[in-house]
Amino acid sequence: MNRTELIQGNEACALAAVAAGCRFFGGYPITPSTGIAEQMVRLLPDAGGVFVQMEDEIASMAAVIGASLAGSKAMTATSGPGFSLMQEHIGYAVMAEVPCVIVNVMRGGPSTGRPTAPSQGDVMQARWGTHGDHPAVVLAPSSVGEVYELTVRAFNLAERFRTPVIVLYDEIIGHTRESVVLPGSVDVVDRIKPDVEPEQFWPKAPAANGVPPMPAFGDGYRFHVTGLTHDQRGFPTEDSALTGALMTRLNNKVDDHVDEIVQVERFMLDDADVAIFAYGIVGRSAREAVQRARTMGIKAGMIRPLTLWPFPDVQVAAVAEQVDAMIVAEMNLGQLIGEVQRASGGRTEIVGHLRADGEPITPSQLLTELTDRNEAAR
Amino acid sequence: MSRNEIRIAGAGGQGVVTAGRILAEAAILCGRAATHSQAYGPQARGGASRSDVVIDTEAIGFPLADEVDLLVILNSDAYLRYQPELGERGHLIIDGDCAPEHLSRHLCDSNVTKYPVVEKARLLSGGQLVAGIVALGVVQAFANVVDTEALREAVATGVPARHKELNLKALEAGMQLVGGVRA
Repeated sequence: MNRTELIQGNEACALAAVAAGCRFFGGYPITPSTGIAEQMVRLLPDAGGVFVQMEDEIASMAAVIGASLAGSKAMTATSGPGFSLMQEHIGYAVMAEVPCVIVNVMRGGPSTGRPTAPSQGDVMQARWGTHGDHPAVVLAPSSVGEVYELTVRAFNLAERFRTPVIVLYDEIIGHTRESVVLPGSVDVVDRIKPDVEPEQFWPKAPAANGVPPMPAFGDGYRFHVTGLTHDQRGFPTEDSALTGALMTRLNNKVDDHVDEIVQVERFMLDDADVAIFAYGIVGRSAREAVQRARTMGIKAGMIRPLTLWPFPDVQVAAVAEQVDAMIVAEMNLGQLIGEVQRASGGRTEIVGHLRADGEPITPSQLLTELTDRNEAAR
Repeated sequence: MSRNEIRIAGAGGQGVVTAGRILAEAAILCGRAATHSQAYGPQARGGASRSDVVIDTEAIGFPLADEVDLLVILNSDAYLRYQPELGERGHLIIDGDCAPEHLSRHLCDSNVTKYPVVEKARLLSGGQLVAGIVALGVVQAFANVVDTEALREAVATGVPARHKELNLKALEAGMQLVGGVRA
């Protein structure tokens, strides 16, 4: 049965993880993500799961990978410096194709920065933080309710594509209590297990969708796990053809399913001649600014990606084709604005509304941006 | 009613965070949408404390306070810090003991009301812990933002059981400071 509760984004994240089947949390507490760990401590033992506080974030990510290989749905949560420490093992999870979920509750950086202040400074790190060419799936909720939905989705995508999925939101969404309707049950996707005899099993032989079936340690299938470039038997190779094939397959798991993975919200765009591109908490400000601007006769709209990576190229291009200007509002010094420019291909004017002083971008600020532009255009 | 923004600000230990959370819970009991946020930082212990509640009949856009409609101030530091952020049509409720002799220029008597909130809390509990709940009673009597019965229920379930009676008394005392809830 659905129920309405007043909870923080971090609580919603933990509740969603358990609903999606997460039974392992390995982490190291760090503000502003600590609320997730606190909830998982309470929830996991009753759900038959395991919570381990590791010695640091490097070990946390390693524990998550181990738990997933042993057949458990596993996650960690962190912020700022902790996310930096996790990058190497996130790459390992990409290479070894270990499904897992990493939540990064963004705070002010670089370094220890502003632990209690909101930021959107990690959106490029979420894409390119780990080395080498690799796919990335990054989801960006803008409300407590959406934290719940997208955390469930993160587990489902991780299981379906055997890849780490990152949930990215900021301190405000993490800490604000919001009334949210929690569903009685959620749709859950589980990793596909092999259906061949153990003697015939090749751990990295892909099924038709490019994803190899995945047994758990202990299921009776013997397999080798490595971060080295490997062949379909799972053992290291220096063969260039096999290297190329692996790189292509890893990346195509995501690239071939962009339509399935990417979600955007289009708000009042149908007749808009100016659009705000915003994500996460800024999407909430943008939505309100657009509504207020409309009452003043300004034809404004909003495009809000729920999926930051893969980037919604097609959806952004369609908006760029239509509007005279797109205002990119983000709580950093300009990170996704470069992607918007690339996807727009010069079809519209791109304006940045950027803020990295530890304060949120408010509806009033975006409304002023819209009204000033409207005045100037007259 | 559409969007309503209420900020309760004071010192750590006056219960302003609990009060804000309870107000948001009461709004949900009334079938409204609500958000609650609090000042979060190194000052959480001892120093300034702040609780923001946004209540709306529809889904809430921006979840933080943007233009505060009702600002409740329980100490002089909070007055200095937050009175500039009061919206143009906003109203200030200030504790009698911390009201400055001269109000800031943009405030006039018509949008400021003084009540002895902290003094009432002291009389009830010997300390300031229930000041936030007394303030909640004042807010309810003054602005009638939620159903009073829902607010009583949210107070009863939102505080530790052993302090339930004290907090319910504090709520009633706050409402009485204003002369009861307007019909």
